Amino acid sequence: MSEQLTFTDVEANICTIAGMIEEDKLYFVQMAGAPLMAVLLAKYMSAPGVGYVVEEGAVAPSPSFPLPRMMVGASRSHYRAVGWYGMNIVDSHAALGFMDYGLLACLQIDKFGNFNSTFIGGTYEQPERRFGGAGGATEIASQCWRTLLMTKLQSRKFVNKVDFVSSPGYLDGTPGARERAGLPANTGPYKVITQEAVFDFHEETHQMRLIAMMPWVTEEEVLSKMEFEPLIADKVERMTLPTEEQLTIIRTEIDPGGLTVSRGEWFTIDRDTDKRVT
Amino acid sequence: MDVLASGIGEFRKPDPDGYREYVRTHKERRLVSKVMSEHDAISRFVEDGDYLAYDQNVAVRGPTSLFREIIRQRKKDLWIAAKFTWSDASLLVAGGCVSKIDVGWMATGRLINEAIRKGELKLIDWTNGALAYRHLAGSLGVSFLPMRYLVGTDTFTQSGAKVIEDPFTSQPICLVPALYPDVAIIHVQQCDIYGDARVLGAGVAPMEIAMSSKKLIISTEEIIDHEAIRRQPQRTTIPYYFVDAVVVAPFGCYPGSTPGLYGADIEHWMQFGAAEMQGKTDEYLENWVFSVASHEEMLDKRVGAAKLLKLRQAETVREGYYE
Repeated sequence: MSEQLTFTDVEANICTIAGMIEEDKLYFVQMAGAPLMAVLLAKYMSAPGVGYVVEEGAVAPSPSFPLPRMMVGASRSHYRAVGWYGMNIVDSHAALGFMDYGLLACLQIDKFGNFNSTFIGGTYEQPERRFGGAGGATEIASQCWRTLLMTKLQSRKFVNKVDFVSSPGYLDGTPGARERAGLPANTGPYKVITQEAVFDFHEETHQMRLIAMMPWVTEEEVLSKMEFEPLIADKVERMTLPTEEQLTIIRTEIDPGGLTVSRGEWFTIDRDTDKRVT
Repeated sequence: MDVLASGIGEFRKPDPDGYREYVRTHKERRLVSKVMSEHDAISRFVEDGDYLAYDQNVAVRGPTSLFREIIRQRKKDLWIAAKFTWSDASLLVAGGCVSKIDVGWMATGRLINEAIRKGELKLIDWTNGALAYRHLAGSLGVSFLPMRYLVGTDTFTQSGAKVIEDPFTSQPICLVPALYPDVAIIHVQQCDIYGDARVLGAGVAPMEIAMSSKKLIISTEEIIDHEAIRRQPQRTTIPYYFVDAVVVAPFGCYPGSTPGLYGADIEHWMQFGAAEMQGKTDEYLENWVFSVASHEEMLDKRVGAAKLLKLRQAETVREGYYE
């Protein structure tokens, strides 16, 4: 029997983003969960010196692994930071242009990268399901130069119209829409990362564009998991699978509490063919 | 000055002069002890209908012993700012204490959803940063501040923010109204009897919240000597004259954690979550709030010394906080 690799969609997402982290940049990372784990995996493996800030004001921490299950604001998460401040201070660091990348998760996203974390279904006044709210995502997605958004490739997430624009993408997609609204110039969503595909945004039309896929999926399969049709890059790259080492570090050091494996879709991939077995 | 767009969200009209008058006539300038019981602090300084602010990092350093006392005293019709919070909003809603929430981020579940459906609860959406920034405006004694985000979103539309043409650059700029809460509750690691308080570690906006609130209750893990404050003035987050009450509350964030001292009790959070899912929050409140007279009694009778010791042992980091 050939060798197989099993991982969850969230793990795949974390590994893909970890591979994108650049050591010479600064990151503004959403409170916790998968976005923070992606930066920590990069910090652990490939970019030990990378600096990041979190909303509650810890600047460039060197977390003490393993992190506790409730990791937001915990002493092990803020361990050996260079500074402990507050939210207004780190938000101003982003306003000043120091944050190269914002790293966020979202519930629902449209083709211009506008995203929702407020409610799904019904109306604002009487939502079917109310969620936590915009949180810090709006300040991050507005003020960092580039925003990396992670979500799952599902047609209920990639929608024609989000139920609520909690945080801004390219708004109506027209050139200069963000600047006209009053947002800092030359900012916006940069990539959308999912378990099976990665997207960027067209330079002029600001429409979402498929740029990479996992080896076991086809374009048709990707499109079938989206309500809107994205642009397709001339050459769609092949995404790299998670490695054994990455998965081990996630499971033993970064997320020993199992938050990433306790929910979500599981994938088993045949290593010889890179095809999905189950 | 042209207003280009306005959110529709309800907000309290900022009143910097009203705040100044309140300070002039109500705030104690002398170094006097403000130590009192949680019962006295909440009954004296939290009134039905108040705007209540607090500071915490999700489940870290939240003033939960004071939340429980607010519920115990059955305070009503509070308007709270839930920024970067956890299930505290749900807890206060379960206790029937809250009618409006300014939302940055909070844990939501059955309680919040049902209260909205029944029309008992109104949410007004902002963001974590926008609410912290509104406190900053309040702490500066002004009525608004400009900022570079919130615009272009439905969050803006549901908030009370405005976009104007910047009189200096002619570009659109977002303005948010200052937030001057009636009362704030903030948990700290150390405080002296006068209210000189130390928040050790990062925090959302403890200083801005303390400064912008008319009344301020501090709960503290321990009382330290006033001379210790004067020996390390750089470590003082909030000076005494902002503070109205000091409540001694070891494990005051339970079941949350306090950096440098104790970890979170996940088992307890799950108990609350399960009670919410099963529609049994009345039983939860009876057990953890109403059937005990105080935080101290709750720790003694409901949590127990063995659990507290375990939570202390779970916190392995002292560096940066106490060393």
